[in-house]
Amino acid sequence: MKLISSISEILKKIGGVCLAGMMFVTCADVIGRFFGYPILGSVEIVSILATCAIGMGLAFTHETDGHVGVEIIVRLLPKKTQTIISVCTNFLSICLFAILTWRMLVYAGTLRRSGEVSMNLRLPEFLVVYVMSFCLLIFTIMIIKDMIININKLRSK
Amino acid sequence: MNPILIGIIGLLVMIIIFLSKMPVAYVMAMIGFIGFSIMVSMKGGLSIISRDIYDVFSAYGLTTIPLFVLMGQLAFNAGISRRLYDATNKYLGSTRGGLAMATVSACTAFGAVCGSSPATAATMATVGLPEMKRYGYDDQLATGSVASGGGLGMIMPPSVVLIIYGVLTEQSIGKLFVAGIVPAIVVTILFIITIYIWCSYAPDQGPSGEKYSWKEKILSLGKLSETLIVFVLVMGGMFIGIFTPTEAAAVGSFGVLVVSVLRRQLTWEAFWNSLYETLRTSCMVMMLIAGATLFGKFFAVTRIPFEIASFVGSLDLPSYLIMGIVILIYFCGGCFMDALAFVTLTIPIFYPVVSSLGYDPIWFGVIVVMVTEMGVITPPVGINVYVVFGVARNVIGEVPLESIFKGIFPFLIAVAVGIIILTVFPQLVLFLPNIMY
Repeated sequence: MKLISSISEILKKIGGVCLAGMMFVTCADVIGRFFGYPILGSVEIVSILATCAIGMGLAFTHETDGHVGVEIIVRLLPKKTQTIISVCTNFLSICLFAILTWRMLVYAGTLRRSGEVSMNLRLPEFLVVYVMSFCLLIFTIMIIKDMIININKLRSK
Repeated sequence: MNPILIGIIGLLVMIIIFLSKMPVAYVMAMIGFIGFSIMVSMKGGLSIISRDIYDVFSAYGLTTIPLFVLMGQLAFNAGISRRLYDATNKYLGSTRGGLAMATVSACTAFGAVCGSSPATAATMATVGLPEMKRYGYDDQLATGSVASGGGLGMIMPPSVVLIIYGVLTEQSIGKLFVAGIVPAIVVTILFIITIYIWCSYAPDQGPSGEKYSWKEKILSLGKLSETLIVFVLVMGGMFIGIFTPTEAAAVGSFGVLVVSVLRRQLTWEAFWNSLYETLRTSCMVMMLIAGATLFGKFFAVTRIPFEIASFVGSLDLPSYLIMGIVILIYFCGGCFMDALAFVTLTIPIFYPVVSSLGYDPIWFGVIVVMVTEMGVITPPVGINVYVVFGVARNVIGEVPLESIFKGIFPFLIAVAVGIIILTVFPQLVLFLPNIMY
């Protein structure tokens, strides 16, 4: 489990670098364009960096409770019921993201076989989809970890 | 089974699962995937789940979101709010309720570089609350003005809600931003009037602050300079069409970064924190959009949005009444659900209705943000109130939540008045975008 947390930490750092990269590449393109030297394929680079940033931030966002949910009813319930509900929602999330991880992997395979590349820089897009699939896998394991923690909480009570 | 019935069942199941605190984005994606699989085919569902989510994450148009969030985070971590407050305080501080007025004005100014309402509320609460406490301001007025003023961060462009609205309805984000400027100023003026009236009835709740000489006032304008430069660069660039929204956001973030580094206001640690916080917010927003996209696909095949739109269109009711009901639904929804989530969920449903009534989509976008602004300060899910509650505990001591909620009430009326003004005079919203490139 420690391994997953450290992978998530590394992904978070790379995600941060991708974000900063998006800012610098776009600015360089704007300034370059002003002097007649735009960066070729900057739109592609920025899209790839954004996709990687978001993918790599998924586990971190989940870990730090960054997603919004409707809390008004749940917080009125006893702690034990809250944990039981969490186990159920964890389970649903795991199913959803396990399917998504699998489908992303299949999608990457389809793109790889079709030999599709980006328009200007001719970058193979399937690699980004593989990265996304890996990020989703880590994210799914993260939710499994949450579920185990919640189940242990219930057991210890 | 009847597609509409499947759609309604899907909607009900979704609402029930929402109540379990499961992230709204996950629930929308799940219901969208299952519903689409039932309506079309399992193969179709499995195919759209990966493709749609990847398409959202990799859309160049959406890269605007992380970049504008980054701009706000950098401004937040670089302490720009303190300088803005110092400047507005020099002008307004000496009048009755002036510190609260200064706080609200500084919120609008900070909103010009930050698109998030809780971030604006948090940063202005840290700066404004201790000052108001020092001058003996009533807790209700102090916290109420900060929590409500924070919402101005969202109306004043750049605004995350406007970007999402623009993406979901395929409207120009540049035009939406430009359209938000006048409404933000209108609401700021209404807030200032509210504080003025409040303090006329209860002068001891908002005593006058220190008086400053004209020399000090003029010199303080320099403190507005960096925000003004970045705002003019970002909005001006989009206005005359030399930047796309993504480029404007990147240039704006870079601008804030350079200014903060030159002023030695941004440490390495703060820079990294800005990146991480941006990553977190962006992931949340992008997941919401991805969830809403999947849910929207399912909902579209059930034909419910079109049925609602044609039903409402056939009603023999004046269009402003229907519009009023739509606004009321947004207001009530915003009370119970995170504003951003509610907007992503409902735009696919209400947008066809509103456009079938002949309302301008840009105007509606601004109205949605205004109503959302009400949602972020109303109980029980008024996020700004909780943010201000948390900050107040650290900087001026515990202020009961009830007091803050009581404090926001007059401002809520002010926003409602603002919405009425903009509904009666839609030109206030539309004249700027109409003269754009």
